[in-house]
Amino acid sequence: MTLDGEETISDQEKVRIVSNFILHSPPGEFNEVFNDARILLNNDTLLKEGALGVFGQYCKDQLTPVKIKNSEYPVLITEHNDLGSNRFYDARSKQSFKYDPLRRETSNYDSWEAEPGTEKWRSALESELDAYIAKHFESGSGSVFSKREDGKVNLVACIEAHLFQPKNCWNGCWRSQWFVTIDSDNADVKGVLKIQVHYYEDGNVQLVSLKDINQTLPVVDEEQLSKALIKIFEDSETEYQQAISENYHTMSDTTFKALRRQLPVTRSKIDWNKMVSYSIAKELKPQ
Amino acid sequence: MDCALDLMRRLPPQEIEKNLSDLIDLVPSLCEELLSSVDQPLKIAIDKGVGKDYLLCDYNRDGDSYRSPWSNTYDPPLEDGSMPSERLRKLEVEANAAFDQYREMYFEGGVSSVYLWDLDMTGFAGAILIKKAGDGSKKIKGCWDSIHVVEVQEKTTGRNAHYKLTSTVMLWLQTNKTGSGTMNLGGSLTRQMEQDAPVSEASPHIANIGRMVEDMENKIRNILNDIYFGKTKDIVNGLRSTQALSEQKAQAALRQDLAVALQKRQAKTAEN
Repeated sequence: MTLDGEETISDQEKVRIVSNFILHSPPGEFNEVFNDARILLNNDTLLKEGALGVFGQYCKDQLTPVKIKNSEYPVLITEHNDLGSNRFYDARSKQSFKYDPLRRETSNYDSWEAEPGTEKWRSALESELDAYIAKHFESGSGSVFSKREDGKVNLVACIEAHLFQPKNCWNGCWRSQWFVTIDSDNADVKGVLKIQVHYYEDGNVQLVSLKDINQTLPVVDEEQLSKALIKIFEDSETEYQQAISENYHTMSDTTFKALRRQLPVTRSKIDWNKMVSYSIAKELKPQ
Repeated sequence: MDCALDLMRRLPPQEIEKNLSDLIDLVPSLCEELLSSVDQPLKIAIDKGVGKDYLLCDYNRDGDSYRSPWSNTYDPPLEDGSMPSERLRKLEVEANAAFDQYREMYFEGGVSSVYLWDLDMTGFAGAILIKKAGDGSKKIKGCWDSIHVVEVQEKTTGRNAHYKLTSTVMLWLQTNKTGSGTMNLGGSLTRQMEQDAPVSEASPHIANIGRMVEDMENKIRNILNDIYFGKTKDIVNGLRSTQALSEQKAQAALRQDLAVALQKRQAKTAEN
């Protein structure tokens, strides 16, 4: 930080700062942060050249749901279905497409095929995940992707649910990512659960929360595995949510109360005239 | 400047210091304006001469030095650091003593500092700062920062004054537990209040300001309670329901039916 003013930083450093601002946009506020950052940078060429990749990165970080052609379900934009050059695929509808992260539009559709031997695991988990999302999320979307790595089948299940109410100055987003590696008789399960809430009427209050989960479970077939995985997702996410609620309770009942009282011990507000004369007397008294 | 402030209102408040310093690097011409209008978590320093803690903010900063309200000296020492006038310094000493009492009564700990400075016309301004950190019990870290900035315009008669108070309270709560993972709930709320009040020996400036600060802080405490532990929690539970949504809807429908039935019964009783 420079206190004496006009020292300028390199273009590279400016791009780094602006990119960082954009990547930290709260859910649903990308456009606002982007516009602010654009005006402050005041150099559209630099923004386009330097920060273009950041827009796509933000959409992937947020697991942005996108409506696509030929499918009643949206697909999530994530790093797991990124084909490069702004192209993504939807395993459900077997299509790939180009995604414009600024306009939030899809184009240039093409057909897409899953890696052989992974699709039965993927589609079984997908149908269970759809039912699970409908059960617990008012406005949630999910996608399941699969690939083969070192001879093992890898599944990634993602859930995104958001409520954006900019008119009431608040936005919130829930994100789950579940990574499953099937290794002959066992499956390794890793979960990353995130919640972010932003409230900004005459202020800026944010909840940022993250929990990692690790589990192992036996594998019989795709049907058994999908049901067992959904049980892990459901139990873990409910436990996480209940733990967050308990924290809220303790924070409000214990931590907050200990920081500042509602009223002094006397249970009445301060008599300021008395207080001032007392303070002056105290000041005059030699220490 | 509007864009810079809008940005600070949106980016995660947990990173406020880093974001502000990046913003100043990006637009150095806004440096002074940003430092005076974006509130940051208060820092504590010790006045070595008096052995007492005081709070650092933009209002007691001159260059890279900060003035202690207890000894009225800058650290690191400054020969020509800006100082309040003699009359105002006397008021500042009294205000520090009064708000030290106030802090003890409401916060039962923490650090407070009051800084006053002369305004060009007929008046002065002040910053009343309080910081209190929690003891970390139940594995939850908590911290409260109050930043009250008051502008006082003394009327020509000297018997009345106009007070304009802008208060920001920052509340930081953090925990990391097996069940919940990391949970970081923090940020700030800002409110304003203006008022005219008579000034006399019986009702001096400090008492007038004190009453306003006390009312304001009590009000903001209630709002913080509603927003932090009510609103943001409701939003989380709106994103995902721990119950199956179908059960939740059935229960809501049942409650609705009960309410209607109860209303009908009450209407009947009223008729009879």
